[in-house]
Amino acid sequence: MTGGPAAGPDVVAGAGPRTGTGTGPVAVLAGVSKRYVGVQALSGVDLSIAPGEVRALLGKNGAGKSTVIRMLAGAESPDEGTVTLGGQRLDRADVQAAQALGVRTVYQELTLIPDMTVAENLFMGNWPRGRGGIDQRAMRAGAERALQRIGVRVDPRRPVGELSIADQQLVEIARAVNDGPALLILDEPTSSLAAAEVEQVLQVVDTIRAAGVAVVYVSHRVAEIRRVAETATVMRDGRVVDTVVLADTSDTDVVHMMLGVSEAQTAPVRDRGTRGRALVTVRGVAVAPKLADVSFDVHEGEVLGIAGVLGSGRTELLEVMTGLRRPDAGEVQVDGERVDGRGLAAALRLGVGMTPEDRKNNGVIPDLGVDENIVLTDWGAVSSRGVLNRGRLATAARATIASMSVKTASPRSPIGTLSGGNQQKVVIGRWLHAGSRVLLLDEPTRGVDVQAKAQIYELLRGLAAEGKAVVFVSSEMDELNLVCDRAVVLAGGRIVAEQVAPQIETDKLLLAAIAEQPGGGTR
Amino acid sequence: MTAVQTAPGSTPAAAPERERRGRLTTQQLNEAGLAVALVVLVVALSIAAPRFASVANLWAILGDAALVGIVAWAGTLVVVAGEIDLSVGPAVAFWSVVLAKMDSSWGWGLVPALIGTLVGGALVGAFAGWLRGRFGVPSFIVTLGLWSSMRGLAQFITNALPVPIDDSSFMDTLGGKIGPVPTSAILMFVLFAVFAFVARRTTFGRSVFAVGGNARAAMLTGIRVTRVRVVLFALSGMMAALLGIVFAARLSSGNSGAASGLEFSVIAAVVIGGTALTGGRGSMLGTLLGVLFITVIGNGLVILGVNSYFQDVVRGALIVGAVLINVLLSRRGGAAAT
Repeated sequence: MTGGPAAGPDVVAGAGPRTGTGTGPVAVLAGVSKRYVGVQALSGVDLSIAPGEVRALLGKNGAGKSTVIRMLAGAESPDEGTVTLGGQRLDRADVQAAQALGVRTVYQELTLIPDMTVAENLFMGNWPRGRGGIDQRAMRAGAERALQRIGVRVDPRRPVGELSIADQQLVEIARAVNDGPALLILDEPTSSLAAAEVEQVLQVVDTIRAAGVAVVYVSHRVAEIRRVAETATVMRDGRVVDTVVLADTSDTDVVHMMLGVSEAQTAPVRDRGTRGRALVTVRGVAVAPKLADVSFDVHEGEVLGIAGVLGSGRTELLEVMTGLRRPDAGEVQVDGERVDGRGLAAALRLGVGMTPEDRKNNGVIPDLGVDENIVLTDWGAVSSRGVLNRGRLATAARATIASMSVKTASPRSPIGTLSGGNQQKVVIGRWLHAGSRVLLLDEPTRGVDVQAKAQIYELLRGLAAEGKAVVFVSSEMDELNLVCDRAVVLAGGRIVAEQVAPQIETDKLLLAAIAEQPGGGTR
Repeated sequence: MTAVQTAPGSTPAAAPERERRGRLTTQQLNEAGLAVALVVLVVALSIAAPRFASVANLWAILGDAALVGIVAWAGTLVVVAGEIDLSVGPAVAFWSVVLAKMDSSWGWGLVPALIGTLVGGALVGAFAGWLRGRFGVPSFIVTLGLWSSMRGLAQFITNALPVPIDDSSFMDTLGGKIGPVPTSAILMFVLFAVFAFVARRTTFGRSVFAVGGNARAAMLTGIRVTRVRVVLFALSGMMAALLGIVFAARLSSGNSGAASGLEFSVIAAVVIGGTALTGGRGSMLGTLLGVLFITVIGNGLVILGVNSYFQDVVRGALIVGAVLINVLLSRRGGAAAT
């Protein structure tokens, strides 16, 4: 027989006592510290979660939420302190042991196989066996029970790939719950969902909690957290700031706890008072289901920050602005000419340059040299009739390397050997080589060390001073006032706030970005 | 040629100077190792079979190498772009037959027939590239279809019989020698120079490397990925047609059974030469050495009198062995095995 997922309809109900501790806490972190190379990820974290409790985990990117999750899931062991699951101490990193103690984790990235059915996915690797292969009937019945248990209506015979993302997320959760966990960790389960779909997930979480399972719920959306959790643990810089009862805490308090005292490494931008004409105009852009009605301008000589949490539609917005995606409504003009729906080439001709969020997969060509990674946006400047001119190529590459202060052994070194920050500078620099007037930068500081971040801010300020229109998309609110002349917040499919330097206030931006109402997409 | 190094981002700024020398060494190891293997092979065969080392045989080897090499240069670019062209063998046979038909049966005359063959080859290739680039049909499948239909069509229109070609001094020269040197070998080396230049020094060649290294990133920088793919397969198709002309010249006829298994010799030569099937990196010089390597083995096995069926076994083993050594060398050189 297989390991029990098909055991019976009462698995969830019986889950709590599985670890044999009655009403004691399901999971306890005591004085947990963890250091990675050069980074103190956690310092002295205490956390205790009771059965049937939904605990929200809040914090900026890099606050230590993921490390806490990895501790609870047994994927990481603390340098100091202890991890106790169901009364039993976990003394080394051991995912299997944590699972045996009743911990299940649903990560942001879905792990379902799209071409297999819902039922097959629910029992992945653990299919009920009958005579001559998989017992289809038992599997389907088990799947139906598993889905019913958390109140999800999906046909178990359908291939997962045909389901909406929300339903896929629910199947993923059903699979985790089917194992009868004592503690379920949900890592941003709604970040890829449209606001209207979020409610489905929240209802499922309610059902799971009612069955006595403890849930750790990570999300950036405070409204959603208020709906589903009673208590929240707020983290900052690897420490627990506080664990609060959400009913007694305002959004503003939460934001203050997340941000703490401003730790500015660079001076915030001061208003320079001058900005040129509007080079890019975005009017009423809608992309179902993420963007409802987005309008703004980008002016020559300014850095415009677009703040939005994961799933706020910022990627879709940039795709519309570069002609890669046709909006359902609205239009985008660059210098008076439309670019939306006309393809990338049209946007590039008008002087738009874009650096993608996923630098590794969409940005660099790892085996080509830094020089060629720069000039490939415009071969014309370094070649005549299709034949490269080595001298001009070297000159152009050196110019960009110098102006972007890229650190590389040689202009011809493969870009794959450079650090993330230097790769990013090259990826931005290639658009300067192409003579772009509009730079759309999607999370340009992600995966970049602190020093390189500061350099990139400075570079962007320099580009704006030269009269370029720079759009800086970021989910890290506290870097916006370091680089932007103006910042807008994208949430619920609209621009919900705008601030102008020097009055860009990080806490207000964050408040606007996370306080989006579930279902607010059409508000 | 371009790098044989590091998974992207795997070594952030790890001693770039050493990294760079390591990369050169890996590449040189690949090519030097192959060159050494080639010399050892030639010496060993010369000792084992004195007939092998005769001047006439060595020229003959170069002439035979041309029958792979002429399509292998374009084939290298195809593999660098992360694609594959399985259709070259049947394409060679098909175009040799069509050339013979146009020249003799249909009365076009030689020059229009030659031009028609080359243009036709490019068009068929472009069509394959268009299916790949525009619709995303895998090139493996597109060219597998061509592989089957072009051989079939060649046999259909000829009843699998050779189609004789009218005598002409041009075809005689092309199929024969200039001095002691087979004309096909000269053609091969000229084309090698052209393709090596294209690969390294032209915007098209570098675009091929960019598309093979990361097609999505290349697209986002404005490289016309579809156009690159169409041109690439057009080139490959045209080189196959050219080799069809060479075959017709050597055999004085168009032959629907010609160049059987050529596609695998090309892929073997390209891969032995250190070009990654995953795309993005590769070396024209490596492919040249790979072509010579497999031609010398083939020639040597014949001269040693190895049973012709068993020759295939030895060839297969040597090809896998050579690539295995390549992989081990590049791993030692610090590259992540991906």
